[in-house]
Amino acid sequence: MNRQKLIINLTRWLAVFLLIAGLMPINLRAQTVLIISGEVTKPLTLQAADLKAMPHTEVTGNDRDAKEHKYSGIPLSELLKQAGATLGSALRGENLTKYVAIKAIDGYEVIFALAEIDPDFASRVIVLADAVDGAPLPQGVGPYRVVVPGEKKPARWIREVKSIEVRFAK
Amino acid sequence: MRIGHIGLGLAFVAVLASAWTVDEPVPTGPYALHYPASFGGRFTIPADNPTTQEGVYLGRMLFYEPSISSTKTISCASCHQQARAFTDGQALSVGVTGKRTQRNSMSLVNLLWVRQLFWDGRSSSLEEQALVPMAHPDEMGLAPGEAAQVLQKTTSYPALFKRVFGSDTITDARIGKAIAQFERTLISANSPYDQYLEGNYKLTESEQRGLQLFNVAPSMERNVRGGNCAHCHGGPKLYQELFHNNGLEQKATDSGRQGITGLELDHGRFRVPTLRNVALTAPYMHDGRLATLNDVLDHYSEHILASPTLSRELPGHTNGFHLTAGEKTDLIAFLHLFTDSTFINNPKFGNPHLTSLTTKK
Repeated sequence: MNRQKLIINLTRWLAVFLLIAGLMPINLRAQTVLIISGEVTKPLTLQAADLKAMPHTEVTGNDRDAKEHKYSGIPLSELLKQAGATLGSALRGENLTKYVAIKAIDGYEVIFALAEIDPDFASRVIVLADAVDGAPLPQGVGPYRVVVPGEKKPARWIREVKSIEVRFAK
Repeated sequence: MRIGHIGLGLAFVAVLASAWTVDEPVPTGPYALHYPASFGGRFTIPADNPTTQEGVYLGRMLFYEPSISSTKTISCASCHQQARAFTDGQALSVGVTGKRTQRNSMSLVNLLWVRQLFWDGRSSSLEEQALVPMAHPDEMGLAPGEAAQVLQKTTSYPALFKRVFGSDTITDARIGKAIAQFERTLISANSPYDQYLEGNYKLTESEQRGLQLFNVAPSMERNVRGGNCAHCHGGPKLYQELFHNNGLEQKATDSGRQGITGLELDHGRFRVPTLRNVALTAPYMHDGRLATLNDVLDHYSEHILASPTLSRELPGHTNGFHLTAGEKTDLIAFLHLFTDSTFINNPKFGNPHLTSLTTKK
């Protein structure tokens, strides 16, 4: 009698275990949200949690509605530094012919010269924003959007960013 | 004068003869692609498949070759007819099995610049793209290697391949390369719209109003009317290489680009097609659900359905741009300016087998 119970219990636990094990990959499946590649020493494949954990900074800028908004995001220079791009003292000589191509999910693409992103060159901080006025970016804009403070036309404020690639102008 | 005419006539006969049999000299040498400077040079021709006259010649033969289908009745040109700007007039196409394809036949034009081919952008080269319909069971229905085998046994094709690739061994990859070369030459740049951009065509009043609606984003506050078409279909080539969900359904029956990228945010997104020759390419949308340009404008005017992946450029909350009947008429007048009659009548893009047939008679 006891043994039968034990077996039933064990079977139950096994079923629960299998169910959890089966569901785990779906729930915890690491989905890549951003790829940093190209002329970098450490190409990065990042998940939402990785980006959340990176140092954020706040910038203000005027969106298409001509109103000023507060954006929170990771400076592009920080992302590129982690990927091992030639920034700072290494941004000289032929490295000044490098540019950064940023692509959106819908295929839209914009570029920045690498020097535009380097804090030694540029006084404005271009960020990969994940929040606006304290809230996550809305659908169709987020999860990540480039914000270029001070830029008069926000056409390079590329929405739904999915990849960043450093290239040499050839 | 008379001698000149005879000379021209002889040249004409010579041109026909050259398309006639393989024994006659096939044009050789690099093929110069001509296009307006405004189209730009953002394209890459693979280093291992430069565009040559002999390659384009062979590619055109293959494009119109029905023997590279399981029934020997379907060629690329069955679903890509020149007179229809290389579409087929069907919502969904019919191939060797008679079963309808999943999506609407896309027009073939200015492919030189297209970086991601098909409605879902799955293919990044014309070389690769050309082989897909050949292998699809419901399109041309040949297993890998079968088309090459069929052509290898013909009297004319091995020599043509040798001329292009330096060897008469026919492979699927070489078939794809030759067809890709021909497709790169399908350049349309002589519509009234192109002439307008060059300052050589004067718009009618209706076309002028249509142009305005096409280019301008509407703004209630500033009392500006517009359809904002150019945001996605603008520029001299009349498209931006984008994938958007244009609100045909709340939950897409065809997941579109999501099927390729696996991204939820890509649900129901499809390639933004070029509007070049759009008056000739009915029916419209990825599944051909809209029969006429009027239906298309009705969609963008009144029937856009909101969904999480609806394009940011489309007003889901108001179901469309709410154009008046007059505005729709003006837009349609303007859209007709994209029809390039020299493109659809260019003999260089026509059926070479037909030419040789009529010549023989």
